[in-house]
Amino acid sequence: MVLLLLLIVLAVTVASTPLLDRFLGRNAGWPIAAVFLALTVLVAVQAPQVLGAGSALEYSRPWMPSLGVDLHLRMDGLGWLFTMLVTGIGTLIMAYSTRYFPPGRRLGFYCLMSLFAFAMTGLVLADDVVLLFVFWELTTIASFYLIGLSGLTADRSAIRTFLLTAMGGLALLGAVVLLVVRTGTTRLSEILADESWTREPVFVSVVALLVIVAVFTKSAQFPFHYWLPDAMAASTPVSAYLHAAAMVKAGIYLAMRFTPAFGDLLLWNSVLITAGLVTALMGAFFALQQTDLKRLAAFSTVSQLGLLVAVIGVGTPEALVAASVHTVAHALFKSALFMVVGLVDHQTGTRDLRRLGGLRHRMPVTATVATLSALSMAGIPPLLGFISKENLFEAFLNAPGPGWSGPLAGIVAVGASVFTFAYSFRFVHRTFFGVSRSAEGSREAGAEEAGIGFWAPAGIAALGGVLLGLTVPVLDPLVNEVAVNTTFQTTDAHLVLWHGVNAALLMSMTAIGLGSFVAWRSRVGDALAGHDFVPVTGVGIFESLYNGIIRLGRRAGDLTRFDSPAFHLGAPMVLIIALASVVTVVGVDLPPVAGQTSLGLDWLLVGLMAVAVGSAVITRSRMAGLALVGIAGFTTALWLFFLGAFDVALTQLLVEILTVVVAVLVLRRLPRRFHGVRRSRSALTAVIAIAAGLCMGVAAFALTGRRELSPAAEYFLGNAPEDTGGTNVVNTILVDYRALDTLGELTVLGVAGLIIIAVLRSSDLLPTHDSRQVTVSPTNAAFDPADNTVLMRTVGRFLMPLLVLWSLYLLFRGHNEPGGGFIAGLVGGAGFALTYLAAPSDRAARIRLAYPAIIGAGVIVAAFSGFLGYLDGSFLKPLHAEIPLAWGGYFHFTTAFIFDIGVYLAVVGVLLTALNELGLERGRGSTDGSGDPPAPDQGEESVGAPDRSPSLDGSTAGGKR
Amino acid sequence: MTLAITIAIMTAGGVYLMLQRGMVRIVLGLLLVGHAVNLLIMSAGGVFRRDMPLLQFGTALTAADPLPQAFVLTAIVIAFSIAIYMLTLAASGGDDDTEGNP
Repeated sequence: MVLLLLLIVLAVTVASTPLLDRFLGRNAGWPIAAVFLALTVLVAVQAPQVLGAGSALEYSRPWMPSLGVDLHLRMDGLGWLFTMLVTGIGTLIMAYSTRYFPPGRRLGFYCLMSLFAFAMTGLVLADDVVLLFVFWELTTIASFYLIGLSGLTADRSAIRTFLLTAMGGLALLGAVVLLVVRTGTTRLSEILADESWTREPVFVSVVALLVIVAVFTKSAQFPFHYWLPDAMAASTPVSAYLHAAAMVKAGIYLAMRFTPAFGDLLLWNSVLITAGLVTALMGAFFALQQTDLKRLAAFSTVSQLGLLVAVIGVGTPEALVAASVHTVAHALFKSALFMVVGLVDHQTGTRDLRRLGGLRHRMPVTATVATLSALSMAGIPPLLGFISKENLFEAFLNAPGPGWSGPLAGIVAVGASVFTFAYSFRFVHRTFFGVSRSAEGSREAGAEEAGIGFWAPAGIAALGGVLLGLTVPVLDPLVNEVAVNTTFQTTDAHLVLWHGVNAALLMSMTAIGLGSFVAWRSRVGDALAGHDFVPVTGVGIFESLYNGIIRLGRRAGDLTRFDSPAFHLGAPMVLIIALASVVTVVGVDLPPVAGQTSLGLDWLLVGLMAVAVGSAVITRSRMAGLALVGIAGFTTALWLFFLGAFDVALTQLLVEILTVVVAVLVLRRLPRRFHGVRRSRSALTAVIAIAAGLCMGVAAFALTGRRELSPAAEYFLGNAPEDTGGTNVVNTILVDYRALDTLGELTVLGVAGLIIIAVLRSSDLLPTHDSRQVTVSPTNAAFDPADNTVLMRTVGRFLMPLLVLWSLYLLFRGHNEPGGGFIAGLVGGAGFALTYLAAPSDRAARIRLAYPAIIGAGVIVAAFSGFLGYLDGSFLKPLHAEIPLAWGGYFHFTTAFIFDIGVYLAVVGVLLTALNELGLERGRGSTDGSGDPPAPDQGEESVGAPDRSPSLDGSTAGGKR
Repeated sequence: MTLAITIAIMTAGGVYLMLQRGMVRIVLGLLLVGHAVNLLIMSAGGVFRRDMPLLQFGTALTAADPLPQAFVLTAIVIAFSIAIYMLTLAASGGDDDTEGNP
């Protein structure tokens, strides 16, 4: 329960950040820090059970039972260590942030930082690989947004960091999928305990490599190390938390977590040790070169993470003990140092070591904090960093592999430590000692100590390193438990400050001695600073790879990029014809035709269709083409009627009418005749078309109608009245059995309506085409539009309300008799269309209803009826009630009816949209008076034109309501 | 057989129109192909039973397969919404030419 509580409290914290931010501004960090502190205490009091008794806390509840993925949480010693880091360091950083930022609201920062803490806690507690992956990605996303918060200049850094760490996430996903498929469980602890897969050399190597990529990208190991200095574009609290103490430790956590499986694998040992030590040495050297305090700290983090990765690669219990101590030590001193960077930056306005100096007189507390942390980082006794480094050296000497590998690893680690000492010295000396390098009276020279609230969090972290160094045996139970969790071997490590004279001590002394020498010879790094010893940068390589991939994608896309849709439409047709030809040649066994499929009357429809389609293909007139396709549509409706699909036929008929109405509104804006094409093209397309028709016809004949009624149909016909209370089986399928499909469909319908509005907002409709302007002399009886339409208007006045009423009736009875939401909506829409067609002019909207709102209401009502279904178990499950009627008997009410109302509203809304948006006289021709045919590229310019908005408001008055 | 011939005619006409120049003809072609596919779905349910699946009036023993009918009903409305959207595109911006210089 404690584990679930942790996550719930963190989730609630994330959710409450908007409120905290509103009332407290930057001080929202205080309550968040208090929550984190409480959680730290909560985790700390679990120590007797987790570390003392060695029994892990577990929590489990089903999450996606059909996939076997559950919400398994587990806190063993390793999980405890990292949870403490996340909540403990989080407390300090949150408190620190309240003073780091200028007064004002910081919603994005606090929300994302809490979200990150939530994700990180989930990551280290997850005992399910799918859950682990989800939280892993969540930390990546939180990091992306946190870097992005620093404004436009950080954009590119955020994207680079995201792409790289997301790549690692994909590698982790690959490993997760392989493991789940191989072991048949998603449970992490079971996978790690399962030895069947770790004995297969190829499989285990592939998984190990994928995990290594994930670890290296997340924990900034060579060759992916460059993202960490790049991510310094983020604000300092973000860097201190994500890029020093927590997120980069996710890779360390993953490597430690998978040690039971890979610890004996030579591939794992060699790659981790090699890359880790290369990173350690390189990072330490680059750190010494930096002039920006924050980049120095970043490269230092890269280097320290390298040491951690290398020591985890050693894989022995002693090595894992060293890794856990160093994780703690590094989290303390590096978060303190980052906070010092923020303090110096905040108080002096610069992080440039060439301008800082002598700050110890003005900022004594900050100087002390920095010195203590840097001493720990440099490995000076009696600080925790000294003890962890001793353990690291000891572990490296026992590295697996040939005899020379241990000493070699030890030497490289000492080499990295030499530079570590030198850059630690540079950090402190160039900032706080010597004299100020800035002009007298400048901001840097006149800096003052920050307030206690600002430096206290950094002080606590630095002090932690001192106290833990002096009382280091208190960490024994922790490190021993972690070693057991990560190697499955018991160990009895005793951490002490003084081991006596041994190899590790000599290595430490060598590192300090040589470090002092390097610091002296390089004039505290100044002699190295600013030189490019490597001709390429990681960022440069990334950018050229990135651009190369984009270019490649464009080239590949160019192969099929045509302006004309004919190519895009034709290519799949040709391919389908080719496939169908192959199948026809090879041949398939066909069962006999089931029953009588052709009736005599059918031939009438075939003939009708042949005439309609044949003429539609030949005609060059747009209006004739539309009319002929309309006839084909009516024939289809007749066909549907012949096939016993009454509801469908009715829908088809109504849709056909409304399609013609809408199309006429559009066609009057276009020339009378179609564009001409070359004869050769007509011939070619005719060949393709006839081939496609043949394929389709043969397929329809050969592949359908050769079986009895399907089991699904048997079921629906047999059970619909009993299941749903409706006897119109088609309608019950729509609103009952397969209501989710219908919900999706009416959403598509609604979206189409909204897109029509959006398209016409961005590019105007054409005015009525010149060739369609009818000129009538004033003496003609048809001149006055009001007289001209009097018949239709009179009929329409009575017919429209009747149609709307009838549509409501159809809606109401749809469950049992022909009707339902679609048909009713179309009938209602036809009523509205009548009003528009009968109107004497099309300058004003005839029906001023808020049609986008009607569409939205339709989708919401339908979804609402779906949520009602949860009362009885599942989404969209209809509820039934028998309502007694006043005149006796019962009315069968079902929530499927509410769903059908949603369908009705969506259909009506879309039809009103089409009529209002396409039917009114608008567009550039009517608004600015110039009848010029507009060129498309003018569309952009006119968007911002001020005279455009009133005309838009006028024509969509209903929509804006 | 008759239904298959109808489907063949509509597909041929629809594909021909879709491959021509101009948005309106593409829309008309799409409508025809859409109808053809709807009839194909109906055909998949079997056309030897042609009674309406309205159990108040008829019996389930001779009723046609209701499932393709529900699919087609949905498909008709979606095709309609796509068609009016494409018609909007045809009449906004320039004229409905899909080739040559705009």
